[in-house]
Amino acid sequence: MQRRIALVVLLAAALLVPLGASAQKPIKVGFPIILSGPGALFGEPAAKGAQMFVDEINAKGGVLGRKMELVVRDTKGQPDEAVRVAREMILKDNVDFLVGTLTSAEGPAVSVVAKENKIVFIAPIPKTDQLTAPDKLHPYVFRVASTTTIEGRSAAEIIAKWPVKRVATIAPDYAYGQDVTKSFVEHLKKIAPQMEIVDQQWPKLGENDYTPFINAQMAKKPEAVFSSLWGGHFLNFTKQARPLGYFDAIKHNMVAGGEGASPESTKAMGADYPVGIWGNSYDAFYWDDAATTHKEWIQKLAKYTKDEYPSSWPIQGYMGMQFLAEAIKKANSTESDKVARAMLGLSVDTPIGKITIREKDHQANRGQLYGKTVKDPKYPFAIMKPVTYVDPTKFMD
Amino acid sequence: MRRVPWGVLVVMAALFVPALGSRFYTFVANDVAIMGLFAVSLNVLIGYTGLVSFGHAAYFGIGAYTTGILMKKLTLPFVLAFPAAGVVAALFALVFGFFCVRLTKIYFAMLTLAFAQIVWAICFKWNGVTGGEQGLPEIPYPDLAWMQKLPFFGELRGSDHFYLLSVVLVAVCYWALHRVVASPFGRMLTTIRENPERAEFIGVNVQRYELIAFVIAGMFAGLAGGLFGIFNRGAFPDFAYWTKSSEVLIMTLLGGMGSFWGPAVGALVLLVLNQQITSYTEYWPFVLGTVLIVILFAFPGGIVGALESARARLGTRHA
Amino acid sequence: MPDPSFLFAQSLSGLTAAMFLFLIASGLSLIFGVLRVLNFAHGSFYMLGAYLAYQVVQWVGTGTGRFWWAVIGAALGIAILGGLVERLLLRHLYAKEELYQLLFTYALVLVLGDVAKRLWGTGQLSISRPPGLTGALEIFGTRLPHYNLFILILGPAIALGFWAVLHRTRAGRYIRAAAQDREMLGALGVNVTSLYTGVFVIGSFLAGLGGALVTPVKTVVPGMDVEIIVEAFIVVVIGGLGSFWGTFLGSIVYGQVLSFGILIFPRFSIFSVFALMAVVLIVRPWGLLGKPLR
Repeated sequence: MQRRIALVVLLAAALLVPLGASAQKPIKVGFPIILSGPGALFGEPAAKGAQMFVDEINAKGGVLGRKMELVVRDTKGQPDEAVRVAREMILKDNVDFLVGTLTSAEGPAVSVVAKENKIVFIAPIPKTDQLTAPDKLHPYVFRVASTTTIEGRSAAEIIAKWPVKRVATIAPDYAYGQDVTKSFVEHLKKIAPQMEIVDQQWPKLGENDYTPFINAQMAKKPEAVFSSLWGGHFLNFTKQARPLGYFDAIKHNMVAGGEGASPESTKAMGADYPVGIWGNSYDAFYWDDAATTHKEWIQKLAKYTKDEYPSSWPIQGYMGMQFLAEAIKKANSTESDKVARAMLGLSVDTPIGKITIREKDHQANRGQLYGKTVKDPKYPFAIMKPVTYVDPTKFMD
Repeated sequence: MRRVPWGVLVVMAALFVPALGSRFYTFVANDVAIMGLFAVSLNVLIGYTGLVSFGHAAYFGIGAYTTGILMKKLTLPFVLAFPAAGVVAALFALVFGFFCVRLTKIYFAMLTLAFAQIVWAICFKWNGVTGGEQGLPEIPYPDLAWMQKLPFFGELRGSDHFYLLSVVLVAVCYWALHRVVASPFGRMLTTIRENPERAEFIGVNVQRYELIAFVIAGMFAGLAGGLFGIFNRGAFPDFAYWTKSSEVLIMTLLGGMGSFWGPAVGALVLLVLNQQITSYTEYWPFVLGTVLIVILFAFPGGIVGALESARARLGTRHA
Repeated sequence: MPDPSFLFAQSLSGLTAAMFLFLIASGLSLIFGVLRVLNFAHGSFYMLGAYLAYQVVQWVGTGTGRFWWAVIGAALGIAILGGLVERLLLRHLYAKEELYQLLFTYALVLVLGDVAKRLWGTGQLSISRPPGLTGALEIFGTRLPHYNLFILILGPAIALGFWAVLHRTRAGRYIRAAAQDREMLGALGVNVTSLYTGVFVIGSFLAGLGGALVTPVKTVVPGMDVEIIVEAFIVVVIGGLGSFWGTFLGSIVYGQVLSFGILIFPRFSIFSVFALMAVVLIVRPWGLLGKPLR
């Protein structure tokens, strides 16, 4: 009987021992991202983009002679789960760095874990300003995503040029929606004081039924709208708004932030997409004015993901890893402090151009593509045309 | 069959974990200890009183935020902030429980759920106090500098110090809860679970007993939450979300509702299993669901129930 | 004083949401009323119904009438799934405590959710409204899409149909009797086991139907199983467990609270339905039209 107990105890202990030790220790990078639920639509491609970079760099011999290894874990879109997997990856998998998180709640939560454990953390997607705000900033957090300030102001610049007076906003009621709408409203007031915010709607994050909000907004008769509903939320909203005549009422004068004109959104909606609105996206495979490096990269991506119309999210995962690899090379070490110092002011030639992380707040000058959507006979879904990269430098304080 | 003091042995073993030197083992052990307490507190309601609550996580969350806010924003010492978690959670349990115990079965469960979701919503929206959906990060460790001065413990890390403290506190809580359920009060709860009408006939004020059980369960869940907020280095609204309630419900079932320690065993097994499986596959829900179905059909007494019936069978063979 | 046509529009959208919810909640209510099982997996059936409908549309295209094939096909598929689940698994748990049945259905949610994820991935899938119902009509100054009108008519039609079956047919009488006293019914020679299976199959059919019909209005996405089941539970509990018209009334109340809630308490839509349920249960512990459980 005692032997049996001993066996069980041994088994239990064995289960806890992490498997596999490799010869030349690889550089392990923890990648916490959303792999289930509504956010998986963005999370999975982002992880693929990161993996594509790792495969490329390993084929070239790795970084400082060591291979990179990506450890991807599902955060389920919850900050407490993100914290849990981040800590597990640090304690159990012994990751050397963290790249990842998607929502504006996950990012700051994991940033705290990174700070405590002195692990360099690069956030490729969360936009909330709070991630790099003065009271939350620390030596180990960096962001290659855009910010709510940049997005709100870019959108305001676009709407300010329209011949309208009554403007409305609709945003999911949490940090991201609140922050980006605030930036939008403040900037619009400055550059277009003749315009008036006549209505603001705040559906909860993950709202199923937008019709009460749609009706309420239409009743105030706005002439233009700034929306920051993203991903599946924007899809649901549009599916419900279109039959009610919402887009006709505003004459399609909408700027859909939150990547509302990204290829996956227009693809998913097909014929239901309210063609004619403006929107933004991190990337677009059909971006004709782009440099040759971009076109080549898109071809590589299409082959890697086996998708002739690749998603716009892999680039963020890819860029996050690019910055990490470059910083390690520049520091000639994988020690957190040295790599963190090397990140400051680092410029990298990314597939969309040269991006720099500024020293002041560890924020990259990552703008987004904006454009008006049209139907193009070449593709079975709407695209932005013309599509312009809005440089964010003048929007960053 | 000698009465082995399993409880004492487990606590001693737990205290030795930091000596193994792995931060990860200490992390897992800390998680298990606290969640075990949470599950055992729920079992006071389910296993002993027969009340199925879908909203037990509310008190867990309230405890976590109470300790977190007191320690971080008001810089109160742990000595005050920790019991406060229990007290505040007990108060909420008193108010919510008052309405819940007037209902039975499914209605009771749904009202506990409703209150828990309201607690969650308040934590989610009250940016000023709870930090909103970003949560309350960077809850400080209690001041454990005095531990540095002790002989063996000086070399251990801060997280290890906290682990030892939480093991001691959790052990005290287990002891207290065990006293409660073994007392005449506890036996009355079991009587109520078996047959509430009969209990009424013999003059027992069933609702009053149920309310007291509810408050006790809530209080200890709050204490568990207070510890967890510090352990997790942050409190989040999802601590009160119904999925957390379902997690602890599963732990209770998995380990076995029929025994005092069952839910703690369930917590251990579930957490370790979750850990291991999520390293290999993203389809953890599928695995968990299948395990649950197997347990429900083959081992309704949970793990502890299965072990006990196996032991009984072995015992009769040797007799 | 807000514009009356606006109030009318809000009320209409609340009713539409209510009818969508009623489609699912009615099945849940039926299963609970007769089998006394609170079927968590009902939401999974709804989600699988939506995925199945999407899949059928991929196979047969979007020509005239094809959408309805997809809807019926999906509903039947889910009905079969429900029957299998009941016969092979659930039936063996009837003798056990209710908690076990509940946890079983929850385990089923976990399993079915991952099955859907494996088969259809994590993307958002969308179907357009069927040709023939793409227009809208102007009524009292507001636009009512034809598809919504269809749902507004279908909901009460199903409710009436149900009521007719339950109160005017022999099968209906057996179902009501089984809800009251299963043993007596068995003693009278009725095959209660088959009756239970039948009820579960009908309930699952309704869930699948609801899921398939919602696809033109909402994207099909992982997580919709859990979202809908919480709402359906709330509706059934508010109305009163086991009361069919209670579920109908509960749906309507729910829909109106959602619609007007955002006008009265703008940033509190996250609370409204749980606060509603709490208030109803405190004031009327058996729900609006419910009776005390035995």
